[in-house]
Amino acid sequence: MTASFVMAAVLGLLYALGTFLLLRRDVVRVVWGITIISQATNTYLVTMGGFAGSVPVLAGHGGHGGGAVQDPLVQALVLTAIVIGFGTTAFALVLTYRVYEEHGTIDLQALGEDGADIDGGEPR
Amino acid sequence: MSHPAHVVVAPLLVALLTAVTTLLARSFPRLQRGLSVLGGVGYAAAVAALAAAVTGDADGYIVYALSGWDAPFGIVLVADALSAFFLIIAAIVGVAALVFSVGYLDRETAALSYHSLFHFMLVGVTGALLTGDLFNLFVWFEVMLMASYVLVVYYSGPEHTRAALHYTVLNLLGGAVMLLAVGGLYAVTGTLNMADMAHRLAEGAVDPAPVLGLSALLFTVFALKAGIVPFQFWVPDAYRAAPAPVTAVLAGVVKKVGIYAIVRVYFTVLSAGEVALDLPFVAGDSYLAFFGPVMFAMAVGSILLGGVGAVNQPDMDGLLAYSSIGQIGFIVLPLAVAATAPYGGSLMTFAITAALVYSLNHGLAKGLLFLSSGVTRRAVGSTDFADLGGLSERDPAFAGAFFLGVLALIGIPPLSGFFGKFLVFDTGVRAGSTPVLALALVGAVFTVAYFSRAWNRTFWGDPVEYDPQPRLVAVLAVLAVGLVVVGVGFEPVVAGAEAAAEAAVNRSGYVDAVLEVGA
Repeated sequence: MTASFVMAAVLGLLYALGTFLLLRRDVVRVVWGITIISQATNTYLVTMGGFAGSVPVLAGHGGHGGGAVQDPLVQALVLTAIVIGFGTTAFALVLTYRVYEEHGTIDLQALGEDGADIDGGEPR
Repeated sequence: MSHPAHVVVAPLLVALLTAVTTLLARSFPRLQRGLSVLGGVGYAAAVAALAAAVTGDADGYIVYALSGWDAPFGIVLVADALSAFFLIIAAIVGVAALVFSVGYLDRETAALSYHSLFHFMLVGVTGALLTGDLFNLFVWFEVMLMASYVLVVYYSGPEHTRAALHYTVLNLLGGAVMLLAVGGLYAVTGTLNMADMAHRLAEGAVDPAPVLGLSALLFTVFALKAGIVPFQFWVPDAYRAAPAPVTAVLAGVVKKVGIYAIVRVYFTVLSAGEVALDLPFVAGDSYLAFFGPVMFAMAVGSILLGGVGAVNQPDMDGLLAYSSIGQIGFIVLPLAVAATAPYGGSLMTFAITAALVYSLNHGLAKGLLFLSSGVTRRAVGSTDFADLGGLSERDPAFAGAFFLGVLALIGIPPLSGFFGKFLVFDTGVRAGSTPVLALALVGAVFTVAYFSRAWNRTFWGDPVEYDPQPRLVAVLAVLAVGLVVVGVGFEPVVAGAEAAAEAAVNRSGYVDAVLEVGA
C-alpha cells in the first residue's frame, strides 16, 4: 500500500513539473515538459501492473520458487512506449533547432509575433 | 487459421513494402516515383480484395491473429464492414493525392523522403483501422502521426516549422494522454483486446465507473485527431503549412481515423458498460447516453466555429481548413443522435449510416478542394483571395471540378453530398429533435455562404495571370467524376454504409468473431 502512495505522489510531482515546463515560453523547455509527461505516463503504466509479486522471468526458474509474479504485459507496453517516446523526442528537438534556424529565436512569444504573415507561402 | 485471412494484412504489407522500397530507391527518383504510384495502386487493389472478402464472408468478420497468437492474448487484426468502409475512403483519397503529388511537388526535394513518408502514413492509417487491440491502436496512431509531423514541416520555411511545432507538441501530449487512458483501462478491465473488453463489460465483471472516466479521457484524444471543437486549434495552421496533397490526406483520411476510432471504441466496444449516472442532459445508464450530449455539444461548437471561421478567412487554405472543422461537426452530429438512441435499434444504425456517408462525401470532396488549392498555388502562385480572380475564364475544366466539389459539400443532387446532407437531416427528423435540425440548417447556410465567397473571389472577377496545369487538373477531374458516380450510383454506397453501421453496433457479433478464433 505504501508503494502505491509513494508512486502516486511521484507521478503527481512529475506531471506537475511536466505541465509547468510545458507552459514556459522557451521551446526547449516545452520539449522537456513533453518528455517528462511522457516518461511520467510510462511510470504510471508500470504501476498499473500492481506491486505484488517478483520479477516475471525469474519466478519459478532456477530455484526462485513459484511465487506470484508481476504482470509482465505492462512492462512490454512500456518498452514500446519508450521507443516511440525516444523517436518523437528526437524529432521534437530537431524541429526546435529548425525553428531556431528559421526564426532566429526559440521564444514562443517572439515566434507568434514573427508569424504575422499567415499565408502558407509554399515555395513555387 | 484459414489462409484467406491473410487478405487482412495485405493492405498493411503493401503499404509497408512500398514505404521501404521507395526509401531505398531514393537515388533513382524516376524509379521511386514509379514504385510509389505502383504501391498506391497495389494498396487500392489490396483494399478492394479485402472489402470483397469481407462482403463475401458469411459472418462479415475476418480475424487475423498476428504470429498465430489467438485473442485475447495476442494482437488481432479484425476486418469488418466498418473497417472496410474507411479503408476504401483511405484508398481513394490516398491514391488521388499520391498521383497529384507526383506532378505537384518539386521532384528533387520529394525524392528524399516524401514518398516513403506518405506510404508510412498509409501504414499507420491502415493499422489503426484494422487493429482489434487498444494499445496497438495507440502504436498505429503514433506511426501515422510520426509520418504526418514530417510531412507538415515538409517545406520547412518559417511558417511551416512553427505550425509543425504546434502540431507535434499537441499530438505528443495527446499521445501521452491516450497512453494514460489505455493503461488505466487495462488496469480496470484486465485486458487490452477490444472484443475481450466488451465481453468483460457485458458480463459485469468490471467496475464500470472508472471505465467511463477513462474512456472520456480517451475520447479527448480521438477528438483531437478528428479536429472536433474544442480540440480543433491545430487544424488551420497545420493545413496551411502542409503541401496540398498531404493536406488532402490529413483532412480526407487522417481525420476520419479519429471518427472511426470513436465509432469503433464507443459504439462497438464500450457500449456494453452501464453505470448509474445523475447528470444534467444525460438520460439512461449506458456510457453512450453520457457521450451523446457531449458529442452534441462538440458538434454545435464545430459547426458554428467552422462556419464563422471559414466565412472570415483571407485565403483558400484557411477557408477549407475551417470548413473541415465545420464538416466534421456534420459527421459528429448524427453520431450524437445515434449515441442517445436505443442500442442496436434502427435509429442508431440509420444515424451511423448518415455519419459514414457524410464521411465518404467529405473525404472525396474536401480532398478534391484541397488539391484544387494546390493547383491554384501552382498556377497563380498564391491562395490569398486578394491575388485571385477570374479563373473560370482561364481554365474552365479546373473551375468545373472545383465547382462540383463545392456543390457536393453544399449538398446539391445528384452529387454524393446531397445524400450525406439528406441522411443527416433525416436522422434529425427520425429522432424528432428540433435542435439537431436547426443546427444542421445553420451549418448548411454557413456552407453555402463561405463557398459562395470562395467561388466569387477565385473564379469570377478580373482574370489574373494563370499558368495552366492540365495534369494536375486531370486528377481533380477524376475525383469530380467520382463524386458524380457516387451520387448517381448511390444504391451500393448506401448498402455498404448500412452494412458498416450494422457492423459498428453488432457488439456480440464482433466479440464472438474475435474470441472464437482458434477456439
